[in-house]
Amino acid sequence: MSNPSTVPNFERFETIALVVARIVFLAFFFLGWEYVARNRIVDPLFIGVPSQIAKFLWNGLFVDYSIIRDLVWTLGSTFLAFAIGSVAGIATALIFITWPLFERFSGPFFSALNALPRIALAPLFLLWFGLGIWSKVALGASLTYFIVLSSAVAGIRSTSADHLTLSRTMGASKRQIFMRVTLPSAVPTIFSGLRLGLIYALLGVIGGEIIAAEHGLGQLLSFLAGSFQISGMFSVLLILAILGTVLIEVMNIVEKRLLRWQ
Amino acid sequence: MSIVSETLNSANAAATSSDRIVIDGLDHRFGESVHAASNVSLTFAPGEFVSIVGPSGCGKTTVLNLLAGLIKVQTGTLSIFGKPPKAGRHDVAYMLARDCLFPWLTAERNAEFGAEIRGMDRAKRKSRARELLEAVGLKGFEESYPKALSHGMRQRVALARTFCLESPLLLMDEPFGALDAQTKLQLEEVLLSLWMKERRNVVFITHDLAEAITLSDRVIVMSSRPGRVIADIPIDLPRPRSVSALQKDPAYHRLYAQVWEQLEMGLKS
Ligand SMILES: Nc1ncnc2c1ncn2[C@@H]1O[C@H](COP(=O)(O)OP(=O)(O)O)[C@@H](O)[C@H]1O
Ligand SMILES: [Mg+2]
Repeated sequence: MSNPSTVPNFERFETIALVVARIVFLAFFFLGWEYVARNRIVDPLFIGVPSQIAKFLWNGLFVDYSIIRDLVWTLGSTFLAFAIGSVAGIATALIFITWPLFERFSGPFFSALNALPRIALAPLFLLWFGLGIWSKVALGASLTYFIVLSSAVAGIRSTSADHLTLSRTMGASKRQIFMRVTLPSAVPTIFSGLRLGLIYALLGVIGGEIIAAEHGLGQLLSFLAGSFQISGMFSVLLILAILGTVLIEVMNIVEKRLLRWQ
Repeated sequence: MSIVSETLNSANAAATSSDRIVIDGLDHRFGESVHAASNVSLTFAPGEFVSIVGPSGCGKTTVLNLLAGLIKVQTGTLSIFGKPPKAGRHDVAYMLARDCLFPWLTAERNAEFGAEIRGMDRAKRKSRARELLEAVGLKGFEESYPKALSHGMRQRVALARTFCLESPLLLMDEPFGALDAQTKLQLEEVLLSLWMKERRNVVFITHDLAEAITLSDRVIVMSSRPGRVIADIPIDLPRPRSVSALQKDPAYHRLYAQVWEQLEMGLKS
């Protein structure tokens, strides 16, 4: 065999070996956990029991769909929060760029709002928007908004001076310069803001649901904690970890498509 | 040169200058201390390829940017084909040492960008961009993004973009200044062949005397700051010129030594 074909083979072998090693590690981890909990080396009230976690997941996902229903509420609120927060963030960035004086005037107010620990607004949003999804959407959107705003401003400001000069010598209008030069240069920076904004939208929504809600994974989590169903809590945490990973992955795929030139 | 200036002095300058570029009594300062250009007066005849050489910081870029309309004229008058400079004029194209390609556009889209901005018909600019990419030696790379191209290839795309504009005046600010010696010679060859096809006015800034002599009809030497014109030397090497053949041509080397002498004298005085 020549070299070029053996090298990828070896790499593939390494990848497979890593996956197998991970599975083996997880198997031992859960078996050990099960053993420790069953024999009450640590009280299962604190650490749950893996077999019951699995049962809870199975039931919630495939039998009575309770987890699925809450997942849909959480996802829906997250997307709303993300959409509202990022659209408002980009719109504000455009206003800042168009009227720099307004940016200078409002800078301190925006900084103060951004510095405010957003979760502290949860009680206010509950009063304003009620127990339903809108108080969660507001909390999530308030997080996404500032992240996307600052990345959009930074992105638009980062346009290369050479590109602007060149476009001017070509006779490009202001509108052409904005649409064809400034905006495309800002896309990578805006995108990293959007990715972070999505994760923070989820954080805001879950936080809001934990504090007070009728539906959603956060509400489920706080209900399970209140009734000492520790295995159930672990299943929800697992679902949340998977949800976060999937959201990041989706953003990565969209980014790769959009920014092929990078 | 003397005939031109006499005509200019005796008659109404605007009347005779609608086909040429005239810089008259130009003076430019940045703040109190930096005197970038001092009493620069030059006239470029139609289709002339003129190089401006001079030590770094002497005001070459300033003169070019004034011609491009990127900075405001302080003292003196500038006239390009009878009209004052203005950024975005369709009869002027501008090129920099940095390729300034848009990383999100393919080579072809970059090459046609300026023409597109200037509203050239789509089919026409597409075919022109393709022709030019082929002429600069990038056939087959039309769909490549700049990140996949080498330094020299990117500057070739920038050349194609500049020529795609069809402007009768090209302003070039050390366009090959950032390239290695070998690539530079190749691109000089490309530039000469493009220019020979449709002669336009070129104002070519460089700090490389050999490059200036190889390409130009005339070499203008500027002194260190405040930048004055200290020599204006016609280069009467026959055209078409071959960059690689010139390297071995004794006439070229004699001329080089001559210009170098004048340059030294100018720098001393
Ligand atoms: N926008 C500016 N503000 C202040 N000084 C400048 C500016 N542009 C150029 N200069 C100064 O003017 C002098 C001439 O610059 P430049 O024309 O770029 O020189 P060259 O292109 O010959 O190297 C330099 O000393 C430079 O620092
Ligand atoms: Mg310069």
